Amino acid sequence: MEQGVRYHITHETVAELAVRKPLLVRPETPVRQVAAQMREAQLGCAIVVDATERPLGKFTQRQLLKLLVESGGKLDQPVSAVMYQNADTVSMDTPVADLVRMMGQRQIRYLTVVDQEGKVVGLTGQKGVMEYLADHFPRHVKVQRMKPLISMEEREGA
Amino acid sequence: MVLRPQRHPADDTSDFEDPLSRYEAPVYNDEFERALCEDRITEMKVTPFSTISPSTSIVEAMSIMLGNDVACLMVVENDHLVGIFTERDVLNKVAERFDQIKHLPVSLVMTHEPAVVYDNSAPAMALNLMAVAGFRHVPILNMSGQIVGIVGPRRAVAYLRKFLM
Repeated sequence: MEQGVRYHITHETVAELAVRKPLLVRPETPVRQVAAQMREAQLGCAIVVDATERPLGKFTQRQLLKLLVESGGKLDQPVSAVMYQNADTVSMDTPVADLVRMMGQRQIRYLTVVDQEGKVVGLTGQKGVMEYLADHFPRHVKVQRMKPLISMEEREGA
Repeated sequence: MVLRPQRHPADDTSDFEDPLSRYEAPVYNDEFERALCEDRITEMKVTPFSTISPSTSIVEAMSIMLGNDVACLMVVENDHLVGIFTERDVLNKVAERFDQIKHLPVSLVMTHEPAVVYDNSAPAMALNLMAVAGFRHVPILNMSGQIVGIVGPRRAVAYLRKFLM
């Protein structure tokens, strides 16, 4: 019998997710430059790493917002001064269900995927989980009309 | 010549087939799949939501976003949704020139005419817009066009999480 979503999520791992190429920055990089790189990569999160590409923390668009509102935008300080100290790491063999629970409990959007040596290999999170659902269950999620916006009135006479 | 009484086609029911006799009801493999397709979107958490007007200043909108702990504000004019203003808009359009533009109206940097979902749609519709079309936040409207709520990645993951308990 074909298995349901619940089964897949419990038995499949991060390796099955849409893991994205991470944006890695060094701790001394000015926030302004990190923001520019995030914009270019179209990512809401940068991972701050040491010289061996092990994660020290992360900087998200939420922190950028906070920095702008609360301090009027001191964007020339090093990212290490304002980053989250926790990069929230998972490995390729973490079950998708654990990832979903982690994000809910910690109220986080982004997770850092590390290899066995602890080096950063990818970025995933809420968006990765949604893309996973869409990819695995196309029958349910992909077969939707894109814009159900046309009202009956507009349709008449067409 | 023999005259035979003409039979009216409607009298002949021998080759009639009930159009519903071959209907196959959708088969779902578990409760989550059924809910994804058959529940209404409002079974997900779609409230609270925050609205601002197009004339709200950029810095004020950002303060509201931070204070209300949300990543997206709906921009409303005369009871109608005219745009959304998100954290991504802050990154893309505001951060670089914050000091120069912070007192200008948010309508200059908001995302116009966002994709929406009506409140009689299934959760799968919203997930589709988020995962396939790439809209992070999807306002939910009723058929009169009034705002009912909004869903984003956090609420979508929370909805999924309910089924994993």
